[in-house]
Amino acid sequence: MNRFLIRYLLLSPCVLLLSCTSAYRSLRPASVDTACVSKMTPRSITTSWYQASIDIANKHLSGLVLIKNMPDSSQRVVFTSEAGVTFFDFGFKRPEKFNVHSIIKKLDRKAVIKTLQKDFELLLGVPFSRYGLQSWRTQEENFFGVTQKKETAYFITDKDCGSLRRLERGTKRKRKVSIQIMGRGYPLPDTLNITHHTFPFQIRLTRFQKNDSSQ
Amino acid sequence: MLNCFILKNHFSFSRTFVMTASFIGFISFSTYAQYPGYTSVNDIGVFKKQFAAESGKVMSITCDFSQEKTLTALAEKITSVGKFWFRRSNKLRLEYTKPFIYLIIMNGDKMLVRDNQKENRINVKSSKLFQQVNRIMIDCVQGNILDSKDFTTRVFESGTTFLLEMTPVSKTLHEFFQTIVLTVDRKDYSAKSIAMNEPMGDITLIKFEHKKLNEPIPDTVFTP
Repeated sequence: MNRFLIRYLLLSPCVLLLSCTSAYRSLRPASVDTACVSKMTPRSITTSWYQASIDIANKHLSGLVLIKNMPDSSQRVVFTSEAGVTFFDFGFKRPEKFNVHSIIKKLDRKAVIKTLQKDFELLLGVPFSRYGLQSWRTQEENFFGVTQKKETAYFITDKDCGSLRRLERGTKRKRKVSIQIMGRGYPLPDTLNITHHTFPFQIRLTRFQKNDSSQ
Repeated sequence: MLNCFILKNHFSFSRTFVMTASFIGFISFSTYAQYPGYTSVNDIGVFKKQFAAESGKVMSITCDFSQEKTLTALAEKITSVGKFWFRRSNKLRLEYTKPFIYLIIMNGDKMLVRDNQKENRINVKSSKLFQQVNRIMIDCVQGNILDSKDFTTRVFESGTTFLLEMTPVSKTLHEFFQTIVLTVDRKDYSAKSIAMNEPMGDITLIKFEHKKLNEPIPDTVFTP
C-alpha cells in the first residue's frame, strides 16, 4: 500500500505536467496552400440520413439524424428516434446564424444546445466559411484553422494533401473535439465519429440509403 | 343616443352570434373533415366491450410493418420496414430491417434495445417512462387502450374500420404526441395502423400488413 502511494506521489507531477502540455505544441506556422484548401475544405454535406449511436457518461442511446440542405442554402439537422419521435431540429445558415426549430424538454438546456450546435457546425464545415484561415504543419499533417472566441476549428489533411483526415476544435492548449471521417469523405461521408476529449461524450453517425423515392 | 346604443349592441350581438355560429360550424366541419369516410361512434361502452372481447381472442400476432415518418416542415419522408411479433399477455418484438437495423424486445419487466452498435438491457421497472411506453404498446395490441388513464379517446367508424383518436392526458406524453390515431379492422379487431401526430406537425404512420393471428411463436423470439 505504501509502495503504491509513493509511486503515485512520484508519478502524479509527471501526469500533471503531461496534462498541461499543449495538444498543438508541435504545430509550426505555414503559408496557406490555396490549392489544398480549395480541394480539401469540408464545405457542406449532401442531404443524407445517418443512424446515430450516442454514448454519454456510460449511457447509450440511438436514433436517426437527417442532414438536409434547404432551398435558401441553410442546413437543417434533425434527430429522431428510430420509431419516429423528433428530439430536436436545428437550423444553420452561414456564416453565423443558428436556430432551434424544436427540441424536447429533456434536452432543452443551454449547455446541451451549445455543445450540439458547435459539434454540428464543425461537422458541416461552418467555421471554414469564415474569414481568417491560417495554416500550420507537423511532420505528418497539414492543419488549416479558423479562430473564433479563443477556440480554433481545424480541418487536417495528410502531408501531401491527398486526403482529409479529421476535423478538430480546441483552445491553444486543449483539444476539445475531434471528428474522424471514415469511408467516403465530404460531401457525402459514410461514417463520422465525433469524440469529446474533455468529457465522456461520443456520437457515431453511419450513413444509410433511404429506400423510398421521396425527397 | 339610446338608439345608437341599441343599434350598436344589436350589431355587436349579431356579430358575436355570427362569429360564434361560424366558429361552432367550423369546429364541426373540421371534426368531420379530419377523418373523411368516418362517423362518430356514440355508444363507446358497447364498442369497448366488443373491442376487449374480440381482442381477447387474439393470443398472438405475427406481421410485417411499414413505417413512414414525415418531417412536415422539411418536406422529407423516410420509410422503414420490419417485422412485428406479439404473444399474450406481455411479450412483444419490433424488428426494423430496412433501411436500418433496430430491435426492441419487451418481455414482462425486461426490455432489450439493440441498434447497429450496441445493445441495452433495461429493467422496465426502473423507469416510469419505459413503464408507460410498455403499457401503451401492450394496451394498443390487447384492446385495453380505452381503459387507459394515459389518454382520452374518441371513437369513429367506417364500413371496414374503427378509428380511435387518443389524446394524451399527461404532460410527459403530450410533449411528444398531439394525438395517436389507431385504426382497427372491424373483421377481427386487430390493429391496422398507428399514426403518431407530433405537436410540431410531424407524423409517423405505422401500417401492419400480412397479419397472422394465433399462430404459435417460439419463446426464443422474445428472449431479451
